[in-house]
Amino acid sequence: MGQYMLRRVIQAIPILIGVSMIVFLIVYASPGDPTDRFRTPRVPPEQIEALIRSYGLDKPLPEQYLAWATTFFHVIDFNNSVNPLEWTINWPAWGYSFIDGRTVMDKIFMRLPPTILLMGTALIVTIVLAIPIGILAAVRQYSWTDKIITTAATFGYALPSFLLGTYVLWVGGVLVSQWTGGQFGFPTFGMESLGSRGDPLDIGMHLVLPVTSLAILSIAAWSRYTRSAMLEVLHQDYVRTAKAKGLPRRTVIYKHALRNALIPVVTLLGLSIPTLIAGAAITETIFSWPGLGSLFIDAVGAKDYPVIMAVAMLSGAAVIFGNLLADVLYGFVDPRIKY
Amino acid sequence: MTTRADVAGSDEFEEIDKAPVRTYWQLVRQRFMRHRLAVISLVVLAVLIAYGTIVPLLTGDAYKDASLQKIWAPPEFPAAPLGYDEIGQNVFVRLAKATQTSLVIGFAAVLIIIGIGSFVGSIAGYVGGKVDNALMRFVDIVLTLPILFIILMIVGFFGQGNVWVVIFAIGLTGWTLAARLIRGEFLTLRESDFVQAARALGAGHRRIVGRHMLPPAMSPLIVAAALGVADAVVVEAALSFLGFGISRPEASLGNMLTNAQDYFIRAPLMVVWPGVILILMVLAASFLGDGLRDALDPRQKIET
Repeated sequence: MGQYMLRRVIQAIPILIGVSMIVFLIVYASPGDPTDRFRTPRVPPEQIEALIRSYGLDKPLPEQYLAWATTFFHVIDFNNSVNPLEWTINWPAWGYSFIDGRTVMDKIFMRLPPTILLMGTALIVTIVLAIPIGILAAVRQYSWTDKIITTAATFGYALPSFLLGTYVLWVGGVLVSQWTGGQFGFPTFGMESLGSRGDPLDIGMHLVLPVTSLAILSIAAWSRYTRSAMLEVLHQDYVRTAKAKGLPRRTVIYKHALRNALIPVVTLLGLSIPTLIAGAAITETIFSWPGLGSLFIDAVGAKDYPVIMAVAMLSGAAVIFGNLLADVLYGFVDPRIKY
Repeated sequence: MTTRADVAGSDEFEEIDKAPVRTYWQLVRQRFMRHRLAVISLVVLAVLIAYGTIVPLLTGDAYKDASLQKIWAPPEFPAAPLGYDEIGQNVFVRLAKATQTSLVIGFAAVLIIIGIGSFVGSIAGYVGGKVDNALMRFVDIVLTLPILFIILMIVGFFGQGNVWVVIFAIGLTGWTLAARLIRGEFLTLRESDFVQAARALGAGHRRIVGRHMLPPAMSPLIVAAALGVADAVVVEAALSFLGFGISRPEASLGNMLTNAQDYFIRAPLMVVWPGVILILMVLAASFLGDGLRDALDPRQKIET
């Protein structure tokens, strides 16, 4: 197993490098360059030239890429030691934001906890609701329950996230407050109200709408997945044997069938880990949630290249890690798989 | 319809001979018609396409006409069944133009996806070996990229509001599935008898791929295309919603939704219309794809 993981990590490195090249190429090929902000009528052209030379923008493309890549991946200072405890984070490794001059790492690490909070809560809600729903639909296949669940799941699966977000915003924010005569309405933007200073209840109220919007989509997908996995298992011989043995239904479903049906679901869990970071940029924008996704969208709008490249690379790394985790979990949970 | 009796007249097999011989495509259509949902989706899609083609054709540039007198004017039949929006534009006409934009972008992006996907997939599947490995590594890299982020970057940098940039952005990031499908089919087809026969007869590579291998590999590609249209339409709407794709005065389902967000209380229906059209489009394309998959799958039993 250790060998397998090592092999996967080594395989992941060229992919990460490839991702970095593509990200760099897109940014490099875009019109304009970082000196655009200085090209006002007041600034003499020689100074612009000097600026270009100091940024290294006149060097050939591969050289610029290498320069960027070496600083970018120089995240950890080894401090001449093999002991991980003595390693420190090289703070400015990802550069400084063009918008406000703060280090990119600063901005990212400030936005990471809200995103993880949002996506984590949505993931937990999804797991808690989708798996029982999927089991219910599978156990009662062809019944009205099953038909309703499958139809709802197919419908929910096809909904675009921004559409759902807008409607959840409308129902939860506007309609609810209209029905209660203006007394109560779920908060529709931000993570906390002014002056609440991290009050968990307040943050919880702010979480309701975005999590609902995210969870509806995931539940639709996960319950379909669980249902089909469960159906496959329920038709197996050993389940039939268990039923024939006269075991109570509960035992048959939960002790024998569910464990095996959960194997693909566990893979899905592993694959959902990257979304904890890359997140739902659109939902975050709709609800003004201060997370990584909305950071990225704002950065693209403002052409803040350092932030853009750092977040893109971070999500690429998260995807690789998520795939690896999914495969490892799969091997862990299914004893037939030997790595 | 020719029956076997016409072709080979033998008395013993009269029952079987009278059975009609169906071509592959007739069978496909027969299987497709059995799926009510897919047929309904086809009709819905046809209606949407008609809406998006005829109304803009008749009204031309009228979707851009803003009029101070008509701000939030109530519906008037038959010219403005949905009323007017916050700057006096005819909602019905604007919605039609938005539908047209979404459909055009969706289909064009899917064409690019199929083009690139078939090209890469066929080379990988036909040549095999190291080339296949290298191309699949490339596919892995593209798959690792956060798609929405990359599309946002491309559209944001290279021109917001430019339809072609959106089409290319969606196309350049979405071809991986098509490539994998074609590659899979080609790897199987490469070993099949008729391909080997063609090679033995001295057919050149281009002829083998184009005339013998691509046609049978088309079926999963058609299904992927139908589902891809749904996906592309959603991505385009999301981009416009965020302000990166189509922006005013051009109409898109996404930006109609963004504008409607400010008027939840005053005019809640404004949020409903673009959403309904979008949902209809996506659901219809998805069910159509499912129906096509069942209809085209050659592994089903052939009925006579």
